Amino acid sequence: MRGQWMRAIGNRLRHNLTTRLILLLVLALMVITGINDYTRLVSEREQLVMQTREDERIFAETLALAVRYNLRRGRTTEELEGLLEEIVARPGLAAVVIYDPDAGVVARTLASGSEVPTPDELVRRSLTQREAVSAVADSPSGRILRYVQPFRWPGGRVGAIEVQQTLREMERQFRRAVRTTIISRLLVLALFVLSIVILTRWNIARPIRALIAAARAVGRGDLAQRIEVPRQDEIGDLAAEFNRMAENLQAANAELVRQAEERLRLEQEVQQTQKLATVGMLAAEVAHEIGTPLNVISGRAEVLDRVVPRDHPERRNLDVILSQAERIKGIIRALLDYTRPRRPTLRPEPILPIVGRVASLLMERSQRRGVRLHLELPIGLPSVMADPEHLQQVFLNLVLNALDASEKGGTVRITAGPDPDLPSDGRAGILRGKADVPTLAIHVIDGGKGLSAEDLNHVFEPFFSTKGRGQGTGLGLAIAEEIVRAHRGEIEMLSIPGKGTEVIVRIPLADASPAPTPQQAVQHGR
Amino acid sequence: MARQRRSILVVDDDAEMRALLLDVLRNEGYDVVEAKDGTEAVLALRARAFDLILMDKNMPGPSGLDLLPGFRRVCPDSQVILMTAFGDVPSYMEAVEKGAAEYLFKPFRMEELRAAIAKALQFDAQSRP
Repeated sequence: MRGQWMRAIGNRLRHNLTTRLILLLVLALMVITGINDYTRLVSEREQLVMQTREDERIFAETLALAVRYNLRRGRTTEELEGLLEEIVARPGLAAVVIYDPDAGVVARTLASGSEVPTPDELVRRSLTQREAVSAVADSPSGRILRYVQPFRWPGGRVGAIEVQQTLREMERQFRRAVRTTIISRLLVLALFVLSIVILTRWNIARPIRALIAAARAVGRGDLAQRIEVPRQDEIGDLAAEFNRMAENLQAANAELVRQAEERLRLEQEVQQTQKLATVGMLAAEVAHEIGTPLNVISGRAEVLDRVVPRDHPERRNLDVILSQAERIKGIIRALLDYTRPRRPTLRPEPILPIVGRVASLLMERSQRRGVRLHLELPIGLPSVMADPEHLQQVFLNLVLNALDASEKGGTVRITAGPDPDLPSDGRAGILRGKADVPTLAIHVIDGGKGLSAEDLNHVFEPFFSTKGRGQGTGLGLAIAEEIVRAHRGEIEMLSIPGKGTEVIVRIPLADASPAPTPQQAVQHGR
Repeated sequence: MARQRRSILVVDDDAEMRALLLDVLRNEGYDVVEAKDGTEAVLALRARAFDLILMDKNMPGPSGLDLLPGFRRVCPDSQVILMTAFGDVPSYMEAVEKGAAEYLFKPFRMEELRAAIAKALQFDAQSRP
């Protein structure tokens, strides 16, 4: 039970700042005031004793004068005692004794309950040394102060008068002083503790508890948490700093979420485009393969159509063949239309955000692969006529290829400039598309394994891939080529086996006058 | 038929397609010769000139697009119509660049074929002095 209590207090001391602070301050206060009070009380007590002694001295001297006078007048012991009897009514007086020069008791008077004093060392010393002495002595009725005053005895010798005063009254006073001191100290302490408790609770503990609660909430992920502390002091600063931190965290978090969503959206878009492109390529293959036989069927049917009369009994069979061939054609056309990537909407666009988004999208992947991704586009590049989303797809495919081709520790660079980066000797190249207006060239360069001249001839063909089985769709460059062509630009690939590959995309500048293209006629005309 | 007998070289690796085109075009009154690939086409062009070459784009060996520049150089008077699968837009662009007069997406209707040939030959007739 007691141990539990102690443990509870120990816990409180360990975990509660206020308790610790209060205990420390109270201890310090108690030590300081205790020492102060103790010395003050001790000196007060001395003062009291001295005062009593002084009182006694005056009393004894006066009394000595009176006794001497009476002795000189030849009064008897009885008469002296009668005199003393009158005097002894003084409060606190325990006894008055008159000694003759031989330390014999001449007369005495006693307060009730007092012990009979006997001439002792103190009295003898006073008589021989002829000076007043005093001492504190214990008696059954409490402590007493003895005062022995010598006086001239008739006949030239020295007698003495002893006054015994009880210290009861003085001690009662002293105890009262101690009591009031203690009570007032306790009161001060209580007030002190109370004010500290209130002060710390309001000024420190409460705001700190609010801070802790808010920090916990932030730790749990509730980043909208803020603290209301309308104060100018350090705690107010701390709260403001905390709020600022939470705000920054929230902003950073929102930015991360936004980036993640953006990345997800882009990735889904890329996947969707690639899926559609795959289906589109397959559809094109199918269209290609069945185009000729379908043409033969419909062609033969058309030949028959011209010679078989309208009222011929087999006319219906022929009509069905004709219409069904037409139907197959419609299905292929619809499939191709559906899967063909939508036409780019070209408008003047700066190249930096397009390439920058691709770089930020692939930064994580490149880090994972241990490949550095360097974006080295100078400021102030002219704008190009582009569909940002389409062009983004081009660079996405190119940089993905470059990353895949690079060894760990390699570098993929994206630059813009007029000249190829690879040395002119020993490189093979392939150029697709044709740009007949001024262009901006963007280079994607890797120091990877490179491609042989033979492979280079096939890279832009659909389903051609130098990556391992199942790693590439073999469509990336085919799609890139299609998009670049739709931009009326060109794409060139230069490579040296073992040294690296450079892909140059040339996109017409925004201020170059666009030449009419036959493409629209094809897409709408047929 | 008032117009003179014009000659056409049909180049296609698909025998049935060749047979169809031959039937249709001969029926139209053209002088038609067939070739099943680039090699045969080159041989035929060495032997004589044609007003028109109707050529498939996709063939084993050199494709129609590969052959096109050479044909244009060797016999600039011959018009070329290329045939390819439906929706093959990039090939169309390249074919136009390389000087094909017309382009047909398979499957095409015989009327389309007739119209394309008529257009190519008319163009040919106009451009000739």
